Amino acid sequence: MDLLIVFLSAAIVNNFVLSYFLGICPFIGVSNKLTSAFSMGLATTFVLVLTAVVTWMINHLILIPAGLDYLQYVSFILVIASLVQFVEMFIKKTSQPLYRALGIYLPLITTNCAILGLALFMALRDYDMMQSIFFGLGAGTGFTLALVIMAGIREELELADIPKPFRGVPITLITAGLLAMAFMGFSGLI
Amino acid sequence: MSKANSPLNDFMNGIWKQNPIFKQVLGTCPTLAVTVSVMNGIAMGLATTFVLFFSSVIISMIKKLIPNQVRIAAYIVVIATFVTIVDIVMKAQFPELSKSLGPFIPLIVVNCIILGRAEAFASKNTVVRSAFDALGMGAGFTLALLVLGGIREILGSNQLLGTVILPATVEPMLIFILPAGAFLTLGILFGTANFFEQRKKENARQKVIEANRASRQVALPVEQQNEGEEA
Amino acid sequence: MNTVVKMLLTLLVIGAISGGLLAKIFEWADPQIKLNAQKETERAIFIVHPEGKKQEKVSGTTSDLYKVMDGSGKVIGYALPCKGNGFQGLVKLMMGVTPDLKKITGLTVIEQVETPGLGSEITKEGFTNQFKKVNPDPHIVGKKGAAESPNDIVTITGATISSKAVVKIMNEGLDELRKLKKEGKI
Repeated sequence: MDLLIVFLSAAIVNNFVLSYFLGICPFIGVSNKLTSAFSMGLATTFVLVLTAVVTWMINHLILIPAGLDYLQYVSFILVIASLVQFVEMFIKKTSQPLYRALGIYLPLITTNCAILGLALFMALRDYDMMQSIFFGLGAGTGFTLALVIMAGIREELELADIPKPFRGVPITLITAGLLAMAFMGFSGLI
Repeated sequence: MSKANSPLNDFMNGIWKQNPIFKQVLGTCPTLAVTVSVMNGIAMGLATTFVLFFSSVIISMIKKLIPNQVRIAAYIVVIATFVTIVDIVMKAQFPELSKSLGPFIPLIVVNCIILGRAEAFASKNTVVRSAFDALGMGAGFTLALLVLGGIREILGSNQLLGTVILPATVEPMLIFILPAGAFLTLGILFGTANFFEQRKKENARQKVIEANRASRQVALPVEQQNEGEEA
Repeated sequence: MNTVVKMLLTLLVIGAISGGLLAKIFEWADPQIKLNAQKETERAIFIVHPEGKKQEKVSGTTSDLYKVMDGSGKVIGYALPCKGNGFQGLVKLMMGVTPDLKKITGLTVIEQVETPGLGSEITKEGFTNQFKKVNPDPHIVGKKGAAESPNDIVTITGATISSKAVVKIMNEGLDELRKLKKEGKI
């Protein structure tokens, strides 16, 4: 039950994008087409779960026992950069069509604040391994959800008559604001 | 040519022409998150500028020593190191500020502005120019944070820099210090900035049309004149 | 020089310099950081025990527990810092109890990142003062709307989760203290 709450909290109630502002760059940049939004969301979720596992291990098996807490940021980001690199190489070798679909988004995931944000929150809230994994899954699901909803809306907006100054980034942000308001309604869920 | 490359130009570039938030749309995560008050915005802006400055300078100094394939990893380590320094110093000297900015100080590591400038500028230019570029970008970033933070703090909590400036009878609109308000405010700011930019461009274009017309002394029939203005 | 070796060497050198620099800065800053934490704890202790004049860490236990004395040196209660997960993040608070653990002398929220205007209201006295009147035995219960029994406290409208989180943290703290009392440590 506790794990379900961690998952739902990260996915919906405290959506990573709409409540914590993590992952905004891809959110604005990649959410204009439904298919690319979905692919980015999947790739990010995969990296998030992996990051959760690896950073938990590094934090609890190496850094904390050795009292090297202050090396958290440097180690986490190095882990993330390497993970993304490995994931890219792995996908390239095992599935060409998948690589073609996700290809350009993978390197971008490294600077996705959501990944580092996940690692930092995990450490701050002292989650155990299982909680961390569900946290990663929830965060990824929430991120994908936000991206996909946004892409759906933006595809419709293409056909709307938006005032010139607001086309592109401004209307996306305003839409995000309305989405964020909608998601606030979930706060009584758990 | 020397004017375009002057350090002052590099500095001013970051303030408006290539403002990291309003023009390059980088660093939006911390912008939306910490601008619940002007104080937080200033603190974040200064912290980011510190990291930006030292990272850019160091990266510019060692750019020739780093093999191409590992340059991103190397930049990241440098950036993460300075972020950790800022974090530790803030925890020691400014504990209250450190707590209210929370996890967004370490998130400076993935602030696209810093890695973006390292890759686009510091790795290709001299130390002096990189230093000024960093300061300019940092200043532009801080300014944007100030504006956004100011609007959100005044409308959302009737305060500015912690002191109440609107009468208690005006009910603060809580939405502005919540995530939804952040998106809305930034979106409207962007739209407004675009509006003024586009009007400036349109006015400049009109001036050119007028100048051409005057120099050629050709009187265009009314329909053609209207067409020219709408296009 | 082999490129792979050069790559590794560069990263190693940068990593070593980075690590060394951070270690030095941490060494310099750590005492101040610890001092800040200490000052904050002390301030919180005297908020939950307004008549307290002196405080001292309780030895002989792994818990982070403080006993509070008045001017004459008599123990007037205990102060226990506790924490737990709220709605948006960690909630840290300081709880004050009487020596017999039957009453809560005070409660102050030290750290929280709850929703401004809603969850953040848990820091206000309107909410925290309830805990001074409640009967903590066997447990405190968070109820919506109105209190029906002496164990109940009323949760904040629109901030049920944050309020219940505080209740949960308090109960866990009280259980810890009861355990220590049974073991004779306090």
